[in-house]
Amino acid sequence: MAATACDAEEWKRVGFPEPSSEQAHRMLTLWQGTWIAAGAVGVVVLALIIWAVLFHRKRKGQEGLPKQVRYNLPVEMLYTAVPFVIIGVLFFYTARDQSYVEDLKDNPDVTVDVIGYQWSWQFDYIGDQFKKADGTPVSIVGTPTAPDAPGGTGNGEKPVLVLPVNKTVHFNLKSDNVIHSFWVPAFLYKKDVMPGFENQFQLKPTKTGTYEGRCAELCGVDHTRMLFQVKVVTQGEFDAYIAEQKGGGAQ
Amino acid sequence: MRFQAFMFYGCGVFFLITDIVYWYFSGEWTGTTAMALSVGLAFMIGAYLHFTINRVERLRGVELPEDDKLGEIADSAGDQGFYSPHSWWPLWVGLSAATLCLGMIFGAWLMLLGGALLILTSIGFVFEYYRGQYVA
Amino acid sequence: MTAISEQPAAIAGGQRTSKGRLVVNWITSTDHKVIGYLYIITSFSFFLIGGVMALVMRAELFAPGQDYVSNEQFNQLFTMHGTIMLLMFATPLFAGFANVIMPLQIGSPDVAFPRMNMLAYWFYLFGSLIVVAAFFTPDGAASFGWFAYAPLSDSVRSPGIGGDMWVVGLTLSGLGTILGAVNFITTIIGMRAPGMTMFRLPIFVWNVLLTSLLVLLAFPVLAAALLALYADRKFGAHVFDASHGGAILWQHLFWFFGHPEVYILALPFFGIVTEILPVFSRKPIFGYIGLVGATITIAGLSITVWAHHMYVTGQVLLPFFSFMTFLIAVPTGVKYFNWIGTIWRGHLTFETPMLFSLGFLVTFLFGGLTGVILASPPLDFQLSDSYFVVAHFHYVVFGTVVFAMFAGFYFWWPKWTGKMLNETWGKIHFWTLFVGFHMTFLVQHWLGAEGMPRRYADYSAEFTGLNQLSTVGSFLLGASMLPFFYNVYITWRKGKKVEVDDPWGYGCSLEWATSCPPPRHNFTSIPKIRSERPAFDLHHAAEAARAAELAGVDLAAIEGGSEKKGGH
Repeated sequence: MAATACDAEEWKRVGFPEPSSEQAHRMLTLWQGTWIAAGAVGVVVLALIIWAVLFHRKRKGQEGLPKQVRYNLPVEMLYTAVPFVIIGVLFFYTARDQSYVEDLKDNPDVTVDVIGYQWSWQFDYIGDQFKKADGTPVSIVGTPTAPDAPGGTGNGEKPVLVLPVNKTVHFNLKSDNVIHSFWVPAFLYKKDVMPGFENQFQLKPTKTGTYEGRCAELCGVDHTRMLFQVKVVTQGEFDAYIAEQKGGGAQ
Repeated sequence: MRFQAFMFYGCGVFFLITDIVYWYFSGEWTGTTAMALSVGLAFMIGAYLHFTINRVERLRGVELPEDDKLGEIADSAGDQGFYSPHSWWPLWVGLSAATLCLGMIFGAWLMLLGGALLILTSIGFVFEYYRGQYVA
Repeated sequence: MTAISEQPAAIAGGQRTSKGRLVVNWITSTDHKVIGYLYIITSFSFFLIGGVMALVMRAELFAPGQDYVSNEQFNQLFTMHGTIMLLMFATPLFAGFANVIMPLQIGSPDVAFPRMNMLAYWFYLFGSLIVVAAFFTPDGAASFGWFAYAPLSDSVRSPGIGGDMWVVGLTLSGLGTILGAVNFITTIIGMRAPGMTMFRLPIFVWNVLLTSLLVLLAFPVLAAALLALYADRKFGAHVFDASHGGAILWQHLFWFFGHPEVYILALPFFGIVTEILPVFSRKPIFGYIGLVGATITIAGLSITVWAHHMYVTGQVLLPFFSFMTFLIAVPTGVKYFNWIGTIWRGHLTFETPMLFSLGFLVTFLFGGLTGVILASPPLDFQLSDSYFVVAHFHYVVFGTVVFAMFAGFYFWWPKWTGKMLNETWGKIHFWTLFVGFHMTFLVQHWLGAEGMPRRYADYSAEFTGLNQLSTVGSFLLGASMLPFFYNVYITWRKGKKVEVDDPWGYGCSLEWATSCPPPRHNFTSIPKIRSERPAFDLHHAAEAARAAELAGVDLAAIEGGSEKKGGH
């Protein structure tokens, strides 16, 4: 929610939020590069159109017909070939970055099960270190909320997923009802939460702070209210948070 | 000029190659099947056009006037075939089909009624010009 | 029974017909022009209905909080807005233009199957009415989004009867679309006038042919998917049961229809623009063969890119689909340079049809560029299902369909009605529409990139400013219909009659070689066809002869127009 970012920075990001994970930085760079390429192509084409509109208009008293040019083979070959080069370059970076972003490392530091239901989220921390005394995992369960509701555990507050900074987090996305989509704009990433199979992805948060998350796939009446937050904290704070959650469960 | 047919063949070949590549790398069956059906459709239309044009041209002995770059309008003078001046039957068939569809939503009795009407009106539609005054 | 000879007599004019007689004439018509007008009038009515729904949604989104409609009503509105605009407005509008214009352009007395043509229209009309009538049922219309993702669209999550009406109605109207496509293909393949070789066809006709091919490939898949969904909803079949992959199966089937559908919408309207640019540049199309090749390539590629709508499902072959999608940029780029080459060094004049065509060029350019961006999965991960996508496809679809539709209306109005629409009001119409459109949708790119998901009835305060701008723009866009209606009204009341075949003066294709409006079977005589612009050759014989002389051939022996060397 980078409220302090200055205008120039925002323009440089071409509308994207400030990236808050290692993977997001890569995607931001690709986004900027693609816009430079797309912008250049757009400006050239637009300039040609405007040029023709301004300078090739029929002037007063102009008689007869313009030259009836039907084709020009060299020009046609040029404008067919050049786009291949452009998309070739784009595809190279796309393929490189998508395998980087989609890469799954073997030993993630934290594993979270994200469970989507109509219409909120449940976050379960997986692994022995997150088990409460009674053997159940530390778990956050949310309820549908208004767009500007605060994060918290109460009814009508957004469920908050707490993650440690600079640690690789593995997400398992599960649903046993309809399709949802787990989207945290600050991570520049979303993935569908599909019934029938488990999706997974990893990311490494690089900046502490609280980030908004939203369901991005229409899932019924209260789709609009299926909101959550991700809070990235230091390792120390994270450990304290987990300890507190465990304690709550042991009572 | 066989371009009409070759265009469909070309699409068919393109779909075939793409389908094999897609199947090889994804192993995903829905898209593979759908594209395979597209291959079939493209070749079917292409082959039909190819044979029909061949046959018609053999019968005429010359290229079809519409494929002849020097074709004269008078080349196709004469009877252009039969054109229905107006017809009520499309409306009746359409209404019957709509009844059938409403039956699919609201109940089997309406569906049966719609189905029966659809059969009757389709017969009327098909045989409109094979009855009464039209029988030569 | 009428056997049509070479010179069909025009229907007797000036005869008085009662209103009842007129209605009967229209609903029993087998004239491709009348059926085309029915299509155009009906689809334009649906355009207005869908447009009002959009305005209600934009009003709701003017400020955060719930203002006018509930979440469920909002879901119904965007579901029906999408369904109406794509399947009840844009697709049948293609059938309308193709019906009225295509037989004229190929020099044919009618379409191949006139009665089936009318049947296709009834299927479309009744199917669409069934879908829309769902608003009057107790639970309201379908609310699962226009792509009806399973399992949200099953009978457990969407139990209302509106969902059934949506499924069945679309099946019926889709059947009509398929019949229409068969009719168009047959007509173009088999009913061209002598000399109208495939490579002299107007580009619009080429695009109708390829669009119809796409309809044949895509719509049966939709019909199959809809009927399976119907079986799931009504009889408890488990085709789209998520426990054995039904959720992803629906997406594959739906988008195997859905992506070609986008090109079914776009191609005919590309064709309309390609008809208009040469007329107001007083030049032939630049690179005709390349343009046809590009269109065939686009049609072929559009079958192979369906899953780029599914990048974030995590279940598709990302490199394959992103590469194929990038490839579409090449033929689309070729088309752009053909269009620019056509206006380049022409004698451009800016009558309303030309303004709308240039508006299309500018708008679609931006939509195309954002399309290339969306084709890249790492970027789509952020942008998918956000307002960026909403903005993108409105630039693409509104940019082609609506801009080209109005271009076509202004261009062919004299051919259809015998009267020219008013130029001043046409220009007012264009500029309000253009400004309103860009104001509505340009800012939505930012909203989406920043994180506003689509299909949200409410949003957090950070998005307020851009949403308000967008809403204001949308009402300007809505208001831009008023000058158009006024224009139609004054033209109807006191527009001047067009006495000549070609009021624009430089018309290319055959429809400009017959009267305005054309007689029942279109032509009293057809000029000799020796290039892709027979009407131009007829009205500018000196230029046709000069071009032939420069090419060093006898006029009678001119090869296809595209092979004829031009001015150089």
